[in-house]
Parts: sequence; C-alpha cells; structure tokens
Amino acid sequence: MPPLTFLSDEDVQAMHEATLEILQEAGVFWTHQPSLKILQDAGCTVKENRVRFPPDLVMESVAKANKRPVIRGRNGQVNELGGGELYFHNLGGARDVFDAKTGTRRAATIQDAKDAVRLLDALPHCHTVTPFFTPPDVSNEMLSLHMFRNALPHTTKPVQGPGIQFGHEVRYAVEMAAVVGIPAQELTLSLSPVSPLTLHDVAAEAVMEMAKYGVIHANLPCPTGGATSPMTLTGSIVQQSAESLAPLVLAQIIRPGCGVVYCGRLGMLEPRTGLIWGGVELGLASAATVQLGHFYGFSVNVYGFSTNAHTLDVQNAFERGLNAAVPALAGADELSGIGEMEAGVMGSFAQMVLDNELAGSVLRLRRGLSADAEHLAVEVIKEVMGGTRNFLGQKHTLKHLRGGELALTKLAERNSWDTWEGKLERKQMADYAIAEAERILREHVVPPLDPQQEKELDRIMTAAEREPRNSRR
Amino acid sequence: MFEELYKQMAQSIIEGEKETAIELAQKSIELGIPPLDAITNGFVVGVNYIGDLFGKGEAFLPELVMAGEAMKAAVAVLEPELLKLGEAREMMGRVVLATVEGDIHEIGKTLVGTMLSASGFEVVDLGVDQPAEKIIGKALEIDAQLIGLSALLTTTMVRQREVIEELDKEGLRPRIKVMVGGAPITREWAEKIKADGTSEDAVGAVQLAKKLVGKD
Repeated sequence: MPPLTFLSDEDVQAMHEATLEILQEAGVFWTHQPSLKILQDAGCTVKENRVRFPPDLVMESVAKANKRPVIRGRNGQVNELGGGELYFHNLGGARDVFDAKTGTRRAATIQDAKDAVRLLDALPHCHTVTPFFTPPDVSNEMLSLHMFRNALPHTTKPVQGPGIQFGHEVRYAVEMAAVVGIPAQELTLSLSPVSPLTLHDVAAEAVMEMAKYGVIHANLPCPTGGATSPMTLTGSIVQQSAESLAPLVLAQIIRPGCGVVYCGRLGMLEPRTGLIWGGVELGLASAATVQLGHFYGFSVNVYGFSTNAHTLDVQNAFERGLNAAVPALAGADELSGIGEMEAGVMGSFAQMVLDNELAGSVLRLRRGLSADAEHLAVEVIKEVMGGTRNFLGQKHTLKHLRGGELALTKLAERNSWDTWEGKLERKQMADYAIAEAERILREHVVPPLDPQQEKELDRIMTAAEREPRNSRR
Repeated sequence: MFEELYKQMAQSIIEGEKETAIELAQKSIELGIPPLDAITNGFVVGVNYIGDLFGKGEAFLPELVMAGEAMKAAVAVLEPELLKLGEAREMMGRVVLATVEGDIHEIGKTLVGTMLSASGFEVVDLGVDQPAEKIIGKALEIDAQLIGLSALLTTTMVRQREVIEELDKEGLRPRIKVMVGGAPITREWAEKIKADGTSEDAVGAVQLAKKLVGKD
C-alpha cells in the first residue's frame, strides 16, 4: 500500500535543507581530537569545540553509506532492512519489571534479562531482539557488554544493539559476536549522540571503532522536544536528523559503505511532570522521521509501542496502538518498543506477548487491501445468489480465511457475554497474556551455545572487566 | 478391514470436500460395505472431529459448514442403499426449524439444520418468517420431538415466546421441546421465556438437541 504521509514533498525538501543548514551553521559540539582531525581533512571546519559540516560532504557521506543493511541471527534468520518489510524489535535497556499478575514493580534481575530475551525469541512478530533489561550492580562501562552477553545464548534471532557508549564496548562486542558468527553480518550496535547536537569523546571514539570494524550501526539520537530540542515537532525532527547524520559522516569517511540504520527516538516533554510524553505525537514524530529518512534512501527505525501507562490498562492500549500504527503505515522499516511501559523505564513479560499480538494487527494494516478479481469475488457472489445465498460454505471463504484476510488474534476476547462470564470466568486479554508469557517461559527452549563458546564469551567478559580504566577515557 | 477407506471418508468431511465424500460413498457401495458402517465408522468420525475442534475454537465456521454439507451429500448417496436393505440410520430425533415471524434471517438456522442432519437428526426446515401456528402444525404433522426457533433481531426475538406460550396452551409440552437461538439470544432470555435451552453455536445446538431427546 502507498505510505501514509504527513508531509508534502516541499515540506520534506524544506526539512532536508534545514538539516544541512543546522550542520553547516550551528554545527555539533565535538572535542575528540583524532576524529576532528579526520573531519577537518575532509573539509569540515572546527572552531570553539564545534564542528561544522559542508552540505556537499554530508550528502556525499549519505550517498556512500549502505542504507539497506542485512542483519542476521545465529540460526540464519535474515532481516533485509529497507526491502519493504516491517520488522519489529523490543525496547532495550529497561530498568524495572512490571509484574502484571500482582500489579507490582521490581528492579530487573539478571534472570529477568535472560528470560526476557528467551520470551522474545519465542514471539513470532519480534524479528530482532535487543537486550531488554539492564542488569543491576554493573558499572556503566560494562553495562552494554553484560546485556549483550546475557542475550546471546537466549535467542537465535538477530540481536540488535545494545546501545553502547564507549570505544572499548565496540571492540569486545565484536569479539563476542565473532564467537557466535560473523561480526560484520550478525552484529548491530547503536550509539546515542547527546541532544542538542553533542558528541562526547567516548562516543566519537566508539563511532570510529564501529567504522573500523565495519559494524552495522544506528546513530540513535533521543532528543526531548521542548527541553533538548525545539518544542515544534518538525524542528525537533530536523535537529534529530542532524544528530544522526554528523556521526555518519565520520563513519563513512573511515569506512565508505559501512551499513547504517537511520533512527529516530524523538520524545516530547511532558510539560507538567518533566517526564517523556507517551501521547500520539510520538507516533506522529516517528512517521515524519520515516518520511525524512526515506527521502535519503535510508531504512528507518523508529519508536512504535509506547505509553506512559504503568499497568496493562486502557491508556496503555490506545497510546501504543496509535504510536505503533501511525509510523508503520508511514512505511517504517523497523519499529521498536515491544514490551515497553512507563515511557521506556519499565517492561513486562505480559506486555511483550500483547505487543506481539498488536504487531500482528499492525502488519495486517500494512498489508492493506486487494481489489483484484479474486478479491472482488464477483463470480462467487453470482454463484451464491444462484444457490445457497450464503457464503459460509464457499471454498472462496475458507481459502481467504486461511489466506489471512483476517489476521486472527489469539488473545483478544471475542466471545459473547454468556460465554465470557460463564465458561471463561470473565478473563480479559491481559489475563491471557500473563498466562501465555508464563507458558512460553515454562516451555520455550533456545538452542544453546556450545560450552566452548560460553567459555570464550566468559573469557572476553573477564578481559573487558580487567582492562585498565584509563584506556576507556 | 476397510480402515483406510474409513479414514479417507473422515478426512473428506474434515476437509469439507463434498465431491470426494460422494465418491467415497459410492466406492463403499461398490465394495459392498454396509452403508451404516460407512456412515458410523467413516463420515461421522469426521463430523465429530471438526465439531470438537470448533468447540475448542480451533476450527472456523466455514469449515464446519463445509464439513456438514459434505456429510449431507455422502449420506444422500448412502440413503437409497439403506432403504433397499430395509435399514435405517439410527435417528436421533425429528426437528422442525424455523425463523420466527417477521424475521428473514436464516444463515445461523440453516447451519444448525446442516449440523443436526449431519449428526443424525431428521430435520424439516420451514425457512424464514414463520408464524407460530405453522411451526406447531408441522411439528405435529411429522411427530417432531423438537422445535428450533431462530431470531436475529431484538424486535423479533419476542416471537419465540409466542410459540412457546402457544405450545403450553395446547398442552404440547413437554412432548415437544423448544430450543431457541440467534444473535441476541442469551441464556437469561431462554430461561425467561421457558425455552428448554439455547446454544451460541451450531455444535452446541447439536449437543443440546441430543440432550433434549435423551440421546447424549
């Protein structure tokens, strides 16, 4: 189906020009000397800790990048980004677990981190797994490596992320990825520049390392509209785009053709609490980000499932439903957020199962309608009118029922009141999701890594722990 | 000794393949298989299987309909043979089905009819928009044990009560039992109008009918 657009071609052109103007005139706060040297040699100007990018250099770098990277899992599952398919992945890096059964919250444990990955491995509409929970009692420098280590044995799907901050994390992640497969094919990392328009030294080093190893990566700016970017959505989106393209220039100078995913994580400020807004503007911003990213030919990864809600309630459902459907219909290549709650701070196993079902409905929306002769069914209508005058017994009915005309949901409650109240004991969708998550965690087995691989991963983690801190800047 | 054929028969019903079911029925006649055995050991197994799946939410309504129609077609082939042999399929009971006066909806009722026949009931389906006296008249004429009343509209469901009241007035209950059904029909409504039962779907209707004639 043609993508849903919120911006005219002129609007997109204006946003493109605004992005280049920001990069050329406002520039990016950047103090990492080795990378600044590379940028200066390529034609950037550096003055008072700010690097300014000539528009031609930006566009040359965009042209060089592999904008449709292919990511693989250790079972051979292949996600061809930018090929017209929509791939879903989960939220990465939540701190807390919402226990939907008791309605309580607790800090995530390492077991939760492993269980979440294993649960996501079992959900058919979760195409890529990002380490979900942050482990407790781990230093900032080691956080993403622990998350990656905990994820690798518990899924065979492509593992995306984790979000890294330091150059040494890239090196060790590459080493670990080499234990299970080919890093250039199976490792994807993401790195968040700081808004507004700031790349810290450790981040600049990390970009250089990702480029050096040819790691498919996403620059993942997370501006907060009204606080770290303008209050206006398009203003925030162009700033976000500049934040995404600046590190891309560096990476493409170092390794032309390195695979990149264009990302947006714009959240608006909740002006009454200072938290992140989970309302529908998130979906709108994601849709516009998709449109701008596609203008450059990138495959685009944005937020989908998102809410401020703390339970599996009505607000949760309508916010994440809209926030997922709108960018999906705008043609997003990847949607993030499976399992997310409380604007990214918390996650829940039941929510992951619910989002899998929501993802199925979103994919159905994306598939749209067909008006070919088979679907218009005029011959069937003629036949039925001359015969039984109902369609229940028609082969055409069964063919298209099995062919997916309805994306049959598994958890949604669709019975009569009598059945619901009697046989089903008034159970609701959330109750089924809780039970389904429990069932999967009880039954789902992921093919383990070899003992030798496990040992090797542990050795790499130990080496990373022992690396002298000063070399990590 | 005809296990393989019986399996194919059941499978033809499960898949709703009417033509295959007819062919298999003919084949069983050629092979000299007693028609009752073909029905009981072959086709009925398929109907029961798909009915069970449907009851568990694992089969679709169109599959149920196609299975029912394939069953009817197979039985139609075998029935003349049964007559020749002077045998009869064990009849579960006689049922008169109708959509009540003022209502012209019939898909649900027709489906119930198909499933009842597939399960061994003799069904007379009067069609739509049937006044009470006609329904009762037909039930008396064929000595039916059951009447099934369908209504889709909240405005016509009250007519189900009229039929029941009429039967009561004539002193015909409990000789004739009444099942009610249709989208707006709840257990509460069925109890309120003193019907003998209701079901939300055709598979449940067959179970209910068997219960009401004491053959469950």
